[in-house]
Amino acid sequence: MTTNVDRTAEVLIRIRGVTKDYARGGEVVKVLEALDLDVNRGSFEALMGPSGSGKTTLLNLIAGLDSPTSGTIEIDGQRIDRMGEGALAKWRSNHVGFIFQSYNLMPVLTAVENVELPLLLTPVRASERRKRAETALRVVGLADRMSHYPRQLSGGQEQRVAIARAIVIDPVLLVADEPTGDLDRQSADDVLTLLDRLCKEMGKTILMVTHDPAAADRASLTHHLDKGRFRA
Amino acid sequence: MIIPLRYNLRSLFVRRATTAATAIGIALVVFVLSSALMLSEGVRRTLGSAGKADVAIVLRKGSSAELESGVEDPQVALVKAMPGVRRAGAEPAGSGEVVVVIALEKLGASGVTNVGVRGVLEAAFTLRPDVRVVAGRRAAPGADEAMVGIRLRGRMKGLDLGQSFELKKNRPVQVVGVFDDGGSAHESEVWVDREVLRSSFGREGSVSSVRVRLDSPASFEAFRANVEQDKRLGLMAQRETAYYEKQSEGTSLFISVLGSLVAFFFSLGAMIGAMNTMYASIANRQREIGTMRALGFSRTSILFCFLVEAVLLSLAGGALGAVLSLAMGSVRFSMINFASFSEVVFRFEPTPQILAVSLVVSMAMGVLGGFLPAVRAARTSPLAAMRG
Amino acid sequence: MTFVGFAARNALRNKFRTALTVLGVAIAVVTFLLLRTAVASWTQAADFAARDRLVTRHKVTFIMSLPLRYVDAVRSEAPRLGIKGVTWASWFGGKDPAHDGEFFATMAVDAPTYFEEVPELVVAKDVLAAFKEDRSGAIVGDALAAKLGWKVGQRVTLESGIFPPEDPEKPWTFTVRGVYTATARNVDRSTFFFHWAYLNDGVAPVRKDQVGWLMSRVTDPARTADVGLAVDRLFDDKEIQTLSQDERAFNQSFLAGFSAVLGALDLVSVVILAIMMLVLGNTIAMGVRERTSEIATMRAIGFLPKHIALSVIGEACVLGAIGGGFGLAIAYPFIERGLGRFLEENMGAFFPYFRIPTPMAFAAFGLAIALAVLASILPARSAARMRVTEGLRRVA
Repeated sequence: MTTNVDRTAEVLIRIRGVTKDYARGGEVVKVLEALDLDVNRGSFEALMGPSGSGKTTLLNLIAGLDSPTSGTIEIDGQRIDRMGEGALAKWRSNHVGFIFQSYNLMPVLTAVENVELPLLLTPVRASERRKRAETALRVVGLADRMSHYPRQLSGGQEQRVAIARAIVIDPVLLVADEPTGDLDRQSADDVLTLLDRLCKEMGKTILMVTHDPAAADRASLTHHLDKGRFRA
Repeated sequence: MIIPLRYNLRSLFVRRATTAATAIGIALVVFVLSSALMLSEGVRRTLGSAGKADVAIVLRKGSSAELESGVEDPQVALVKAMPGVRRAGAEPAGSGEVVVVIALEKLGASGVTNVGVRGVLEAAFTLRPDVRVVAGRRAAPGADEAMVGIRLRGRMKGLDLGQSFELKKNRPVQVVGVFDDGGSAHESEVWVDREVLRSSFGREGSVSSVRVRLDSPASFEAFRANVEQDKRLGLMAQRETAYYEKQSEGTSLFISVLGSLVAFFFSLGAMIGAMNTMYASIANRQREIGTMRALGFSRTSILFCFLVEAVLLSLAGGALGAVLSLAMGSVRFSMINFASFSEVVFRFEPTPQILAVSLVVSMAMGVLGGFLPAVRAARTSPLAAMRG
Repeated sequence: MTFVGFAARNALRNKFRTALTVLGVAIAVVTFLLLRTAVASWTQAADFAARDRLVTRHKVTFIMSLPLRYVDAVRSEAPRLGIKGVTWASWFGGKDPAHDGEFFATMAVDAPTYFEEVPELVVAKDVLAAFKEDRSGAIVGDALAAKLGWKVGQRVTLESGIFPPEDPEKPWTFTVRGVYTATARNVDRSTFFFHWAYLNDGVAPVRKDQVGWLMSRVTDPARTADVGLAVDRLFDDKEIQTLSQDERAFNQSFLAGFSAVLGALDLVSVVILAIMMLVLGNTIAMGVRERTSEIATMRAIGFLPKHIALSVIGEACVLGAIGGGFGLAIAYPFIERGLGRFLEENMGAFFPYFRIPTPMAFAAFGLAIALAVLASILPARSAARMRVTEGLRRVA
């Protein structure tokens, strides 16, 4: 699972002139306005900003959950801003791992089955799927919680299962939306340490939305968004 | 403290697809129940309204219907002469009638069905003042002519104005008139001249039944005693109302039992639907309910609030079902009446009672289906407000 | 873990709701089968009727009888017509005054031939002999004998409005000589048979030598209709004409009078299916609504709308199958052991054989699944069309 860490400053995410409008009750709201952003491969960067600043919208665009109104988004050399829904879904399943504030695990599945879920979209055989899921759970330190259901785990453990689910497909990019928002200080620290490790040891590029300054401190770089623009 | 009704209405509206599905389920149950009751009422009214309180009907002892009975002509005269029978001048008010059934082809459906034919004289009209000719004219005495009841008109081959059918080979009977009788069972009969019917069927010398008008409804018991006293006659007397009530019993019971049984099973299904909906609605509102509890609403008012919601839901369905069933008012339901072996056309008769029963049943479904979920809601702890 | 397993687990996740839904579907299946069994039981008298038997009756009305000489007329022409046996019967319309509320059929039949021509009525040899021997003897259905507690040798008095006794002091009395059973499921096992000759002895002179209807067995069942026409032609220019139908058509013409009831039962069967669909659709829709963020998560991970739709439909299949299976498991004991037994014993004239037709059981199970799928289409569509970013915003 370890990849060769490339220390040269290669740009993974290249965003140029990205604008996002929403129609809300007949009125057009500009959520993001002509944003430019570069994120280097293998870096751990944070997005901060007050509520409604557009940070989650930006994260969603980078993760391929949504498309910009205008502008270009290039990730690992691929333009995703004009991809159709089907192509985006396929791209996400190969390139992006998701980490959510409320973990979003399937309550009917055990920890290892939750981790296995994204692999159902790949041609990987059943026995191999299980093996990879177990490996990912070992990486996040939950080898002894494989057959527990989410409700039998603590919040920190749930989030680590979610992280295992995110890395099991070996994505280049991990996006995390308030990953520590629901956690106590200690669990939050553990999760941030884990993310840091994934970045340093496995070369994952991590983009994290947070409004916790302590969390942002763990990132190598923090971008501040306000009313749809970066603050200098 | 009572939670305002608007809260329930809004919550039903917010989840309108589920609300609609549940209400439609209840509406279907109420529709089936109310239609069955309306039909059963239609049977009772159709057969029942043929009877008059001051008319007695005399049949052969042991027969359950006119069709099975036979009374010799001399006995007819004896019956009519009995004390208690009203007299119009010198002539006692009585009518000896012959009833047979004939097989006719059904129009718009395959197969043959049995139609009741009544052989009458002038006296039959005197006894039934409600009979009115609505098209054409009365059949002339002694002629091979017939009048058909309005409900039969056009339903069987040969039974429309100007058409003809056979009582016997090479003896066509022409339909010259259409009559109605205030919705009674006679409207599902064909009336011909009694002597024409008797000669066609080789039944000269006897009739099926004798009807007499009594001085008053109260003189019936004395009249009956007189008729049944003479064992040699072998006859029995009944009030016409009682006779028709018995005629309608089997069919009306059959329909209301069948209908209620079906509706009972249906309501179990729909109630489960309502219960499911209410449970889901409450599960989704744990935090909301917890907040209400924290604000100081009592368990009782929460219980009441959700019961009201369930009842609103089921009443909406019940009202819809009742309205749907009213549309059955224009449908004619034709079936063999068990007692007379002939086809009678019934209507779905809505009554305020039936509508009330439908609404009460739908409300009961709401209360039964909503009670357990409401109890669960009432047991919600105020702490639920704090949980995610 | 597989995708199918995942769908199945979603179907079962809310145990209480699943249990309620399964119960709802099961009740619908039982009700549906009850209705279909009633219709089938009622109509199968026509379906199972003997195809080689011809019933000849008065053309105009069933309440009038035919002259006895018509029997001889048909018999003498039998070889030419393709008929191998003729018998006859009359409807007596009897009632046991001791059991006033009980309805059962009473028929006066030609004792020497009737049971030979109607082989589905099974009578023991010695019983038949004893019956033929005794002019006032009777053979009754085993169900009727059991219900009214009649024993062999018992004297029974019946009243009839159609045939009042000539002398009121001398009512119709019979001696029960034994019972018949049935080989075919459509046969009413509560009929009372006695000698037509005994009836003929006791009626007024004008009503002597009259029979209700003739029954002829034809040599070639494929030609029954033609034989019927030929029989009717025999009497075409006589005073009384006849109408000959094969037994099936004869029974069907009786059912024609109840076609509206059968139609209503058909309609009501559809209504219960609609209720079942609403209950299922509701459950599935609620499940989908509660899982909004889970579905959005799956979409984020890369699952396509079609995957989501399939998992919802798969869930519905599981619910439909469990509910349908449970319904069948209840329906068999309830209908065949409980209600069916009761109806066969007490309303044998209408429901001689009240059992679930096997194809109907398969159909009910299939319908439970098919309607579950149909009911899940709308929820599946809305789940598949959900916007991922909005779904994620809603906190689980």
